[in-house]
Amino acid sequence: MLRGSVGAIELRDVRRLFRTTTGTLRRHTKEIVALDGLSLEVGEGELFGILGPNGAGKTTTIKVLTTLLIPTSGTASVLGLDVVRDAKEVRRKIGFVFGGERGLYYRLSGRDNLRYFAELYAVAPREINSRVEELLELVGLRDRGDERVEGYSRGMKQRLHLARTLLHRPRVLFLDEPTIGLDPIGARELRRIVSQLHEGGATIVLTTHYLFEADELCDRIAVVDKGRVVALGTPDDLKANVSDLSVVELEVFGIDAPTIERVRALEFVDSVVVEQRELRQVLRIQTRIAERAVAPLIAAVAAGQVGRVAVREATLEDAYVRLVGRVE
Amino acid sequence: MTAALRIAARSAWVNFQEVAVSGFLLFAVVWQPLFVGVTTMYMLRHRADFDPMYVVVGTALSGIWSTLLFAGSGAISHERWTGTLELLAASPASFFVVIGGKLAGTTIFSLGSLVLAFGIGAVLFGYPVKIAEPGLLALSLVFAAVALWATGVFFAPLAILWRTVGVFLLVFEYPVFALSGFLFPVLLLPNWIVPITNLLPPYWAAVAMHGAASGDLDTPGLIRAWFFLFLTGGVLLFIAHRLFDEVLTRARRAGTLALS
Repeated sequence: MLRGSVGAIELRDVRRLFRTTTGTLRRHTKEIVALDGLSLEVGEGELFGILGPNGAGKTTTIKVLTTLLIPTSGTASVLGLDVVRDAKEVRRKIGFVFGGERGLYYRLSGRDNLRYFAELYAVAPREINSRVEELLELVGLRDRGDERVEGYSRGMKQRLHLARTLLHRPRVLFLDEPTIGLDPIGARELRRIVSQLHEGGATIVLTTHYLFEADELCDRIAVVDKGRVVALGTPDDLKANVSDLSVVELEVFGIDAPTIERVRALEFVDSVVVEQRELRQVLRIQTRIAERAVAPLIAAVAAGQVGRVAVREATLEDAYVRLVGRVE
Repeated sequence: MTAALRIAARSAWVNFQEVAVSGFLLFAVVWQPLFVGVTTMYMLRHRADFDPMYVVVGTALSGIWSTLLFAGSGAISHERWTGTLELLAASPASFFVVIGGKLAGTTIFSLGSLVLAFGIGAVLFGYPVKIAEPGLLALSLVFAAVALWATGVFFAPLAILWRTVGVFLLVFEYPVFALSGFLFPVLLLPNWIVPITNLLPPYWAAVAMHGAASGDLDTPGLIRAWFFLFLTGGVLLFIAHRLFDEVLTRARRAGTLALS
């Protein structure tokens, strides 16, 4: 744990199963393991990131901690309060934002949305108006506060979500992919606000698919896959896992699956990720031999298919790829 | 207590603003009673014992009932669809108070059916609006609205557990309409059904409002109807209150608060 010595959040061996039904005439119930004995601790005042591929258990973890889901087994606590037994108390002390545009009353104005949630979170009546104005100012929506939310852009809705979750001055904030779908300027603005809240002492748990975002903001990061923590540490700790690696990026045209397998099978190749960019593909190849790998790689791909070639240091994203073994 | 009332009042206002522009509920409050009222007037107006006030009150009740049934069964589905159900469930406010408040907003909105029903009788068909006991009708209307609101609140928690329950609850619309004697006396129904009608708040709402509007019901009879309105409504509200906490815990266990 970083920052305060007190644990703000604790998960111990948390398992969470979901039941799903398949079939039309003959129905079968299937159990899906979303969290498989997940354990982690977050210190007070820490900005903690959770990374992982789709279906890794990031949102389920947040939903358990925000009292929306009851763990199938194991225990979870926030500020020393059990999320199942003391759910009501936990709710008073936390705030959360789920990424996306939903979760607002579209036919009400931004200001009325905030006033309503202020009431639900027991903000003192005489404080409601000033708090709402203060938060609209913080998220840059003061001038648009009287407009109906249905006319807001995606970025404005996300900022309104953030304002909503800060109304009752929560000590712990859960932000589940808060910048998803935002344009670069909107996302940067939201990251600035998150940093500001972190500097103000809030404990923040952030899930994101954007690794640079986690790198920029988080004190520590847990990489989660198949409902378990597969790596935990500061962004530098995680990057240190790939300090022995370099990344060769090959821009190629019309490469086929057998060729990719041939590259993957090369003795000096650690992993290969293929990214489709319109008609081109970019192969990101992790290797221990850096520049010396370029010539044999071009030979393996067939020189005529190769466009741009670059060699660079491994980043947090490469550490993530090494841990999780795939990108979305 | 004051905080709970404030939350209920704010929830009512928020929901009133939402339903006031909802096409579906506008249909339930305006177009459906208009259709019911006009059709019934045409069906019954040549009968010797025709009482236009009976049709006016029955039409109003059918509008209020349909709106509350749709809103009660759809309230949770709507919140789930808009992504606000999880926000409400994870707030420290009592879920019962929040949803109860929201349905109170819908109840107030549904009273528009009454104004419309009087309009059908007085303007469209030119009948004089003669209320035998205006004060008692107003009181009966308030009590009926409270009991019908309680019925809506009773249906709401079921939708927390089952995402599609709202659609199934709609099948209650016409049976309750018929069993409660909104537009046709329950005496027309088989005898064995009468005890069932007595268990329904809408039935007592119809007895009280028809009785006060026509003056056919004496004061003890009216007080009896009010008593049963409160009793049946109170029982449903009590069950709903217990159900809310229970179903919320089950939904957190089953993971049905979100759309997926």
